[in-house]
Amino acid sequence: MISQSLKLLFPGLGLIAILVFAAVVVLFIGSGELEGILTEALIYMIMVIALSIFVGNSGVISFGHVTFALVGAYASAWQTCCSSIRGVFMPGLPEFILHADVPVVLAVLTAALIAAVVAVLAGLIIMRLSSVAASIALLSLLFVFKTIYENWGSLTAGQSSVVGLPVYVNLWVALIWVALTITVAQTYMRSAHGLRLRAAREDEVAARAAGIVVWRERLIAFVISAFFFRYRWRFVRAFPGNTGCKHVLAQHDFPHVGNACRWGLRSLTGAVIGALAVASIRGVLRAFEQGVQIGGGRCRSHRGCRRLHLLSFFY
Amino acid sequence: MHIWGLREMLLEVEGLEIRYGRVPAVRDLTFGIAEGEFVCFVGPNGVGKSTTTLAVAGVVQPAKGSIRFDGHPLAGTLIETIVSKGIALVPEGRRIFGRMSVRENLVVASGVRGGLGRKRAVLDRILELFPILRQRFESPAGFLSGGEQQQLAIARALLTEPKLLVVDEPSLGLAPKYVELVYETFSRIRSEGVTLLIVEQSVRRALKYADRICFMQSGRIVLEGNTPDLAQRTDLELVYFGEGKRD
Repeated sequence: MISQSLKLLFPGLGLIAILVFAAVVVLFIGSGELEGILTEALIYMIMVIALSIFVGNSGVISFGHVTFALVGAYASAWQTCCSSIRGVFMPGLPEFILHADVPVVLAVLTAALIAAVVAVLAGLIIMRLSSVAASIALLSLLFVFKTIYENWGSLTAGQSSVVGLPVYVNLWVALIWVALTITVAQTYMRSAHGLRLRAAREDEVAARAAGIVVWRERLIAFVISAFFFRYRWRFVRAFPGNTGCKHVLAQHDFPHVGNACRWGLRSLTGAVIGALAVASIRGVLRAFEQGVQIGGGRCRSHRGCRRLHLLSFFY
Repeated sequence: MHIWGLREMLLEVEGLEIRYGRVPAVRDLTFGIAEGEFVCFVGPNGVGKSTTTLAVAGVVQPAKGSIRFDGHPLAGTLIETIVSKGIALVPEGRRIFGRMSVRENLVVASGVRGGLGRKRAVLDRILELFPILRQRFESPAGFLSGGEQQQLAIARALLTEPKLLVVDEPSLGLAPKYVELVYETFSRIRSEGVTLLIVEQSVRRALKYADRICFMQSGRIVLEGNTPDLAQRTDLELVYFGEGKRD
């Protein structure tokens, strides 16, 4: 009975335990660089696991999830950024938002809910398409939203960055969100809804003949996935205190989306290890860019070599 | 509900025509199945038996004609909606979810009707019909033998609590002992009030188990009759291979 219960908790609990252990080790070593790499890996992990809730269970490849990050990032920025000069950046905001001072955690949850609502509305149409058509439609959705946000200057500050966002992500905050995302992803995967969606991925006609309403199951996964797709965390980490359309679709995010599509397609562990690997490769390459002490000499690579980690996208 | 002859029909098919591109697979097909009946469609490969079952289950849409189930037309209805109306299909080749366990295969189909208590009761009843599935409950379905997989496919269909169970070639690739077991199970399912439409290539087996048999040739029914009557005939082999005539 106990072994059965433990079996149900894995691999999620095991992954969380490993990540907590890694965080403790990094803090014990006291290296700021290592802490940065791990925090960044955790932030990407949230994104990859969230994406794998949809991609991994449905088999529908989605490059369009960045839409929800974009929607969520601005929704959060509207509530938390620079209340004194918010009207200067985004004069088109309604009065009640213009002067609101929402606590960060509440703003993040509200932003995620707004992203989820957008996912419901878009998903009601897109999830009825076949898998390739759905993938293309999702990418189109991203371009539609990106174009609107880039050009709706009074609400989004257009091409400019919105600065003055509160920074609150650290190693432990990221770890808590990873643990929460892993728990939700695992619970969903083992639920009847998760099973139905994976059945549809395996054989859609057989699944429908078993009474499964495929588009509805896809929509459920899509909305959960959109809620947890926390892209804004990356902005906070990589570009402290600002956000903007130009940061969306940043080239070094594609390895993670690719990783979610490839390694996260069949397992949660694959998604986690893949995110860790890509972030580590990037961290090591970045360290070499800045110069690493090896033996008596200092080894330094050309600037921009961190972009080599993009190759992992093609792997 | 329409009256076909003297019996109430659960399924009524009239003037059905199905095409794959420009090629007709089924032509002007008309038949009915009464509630509680066990009907076999018999014929060699490529005569339109499977296509007919796919049309009944909503997997392919007819070019002409009508399909009515329980008095309601099914034209343009989605597969999953047809399942919720009471038609369950066990497709050719079983098409179980091989990467999932037996339990998971059954869970995915148990969301069609009723609450948790009812689902549990239905599952228990089905596991009584297929005790081997209870033994292999946590095994990956892909590792089951062909006969066990067929039982799983039928169990999965039964979990939707169908009024009409449509099974396409249940004996395909099965050892004889499993074929007998599967057909014995059909008899038990039928005794619980489920109507059966089975596609079969063996005339002998159809004569043994079915109430009525429809022989198909080139997308049409060429001979149809009750099993006791057909058992008296000596020309069934000729009819089967397309050389006999319809009465």
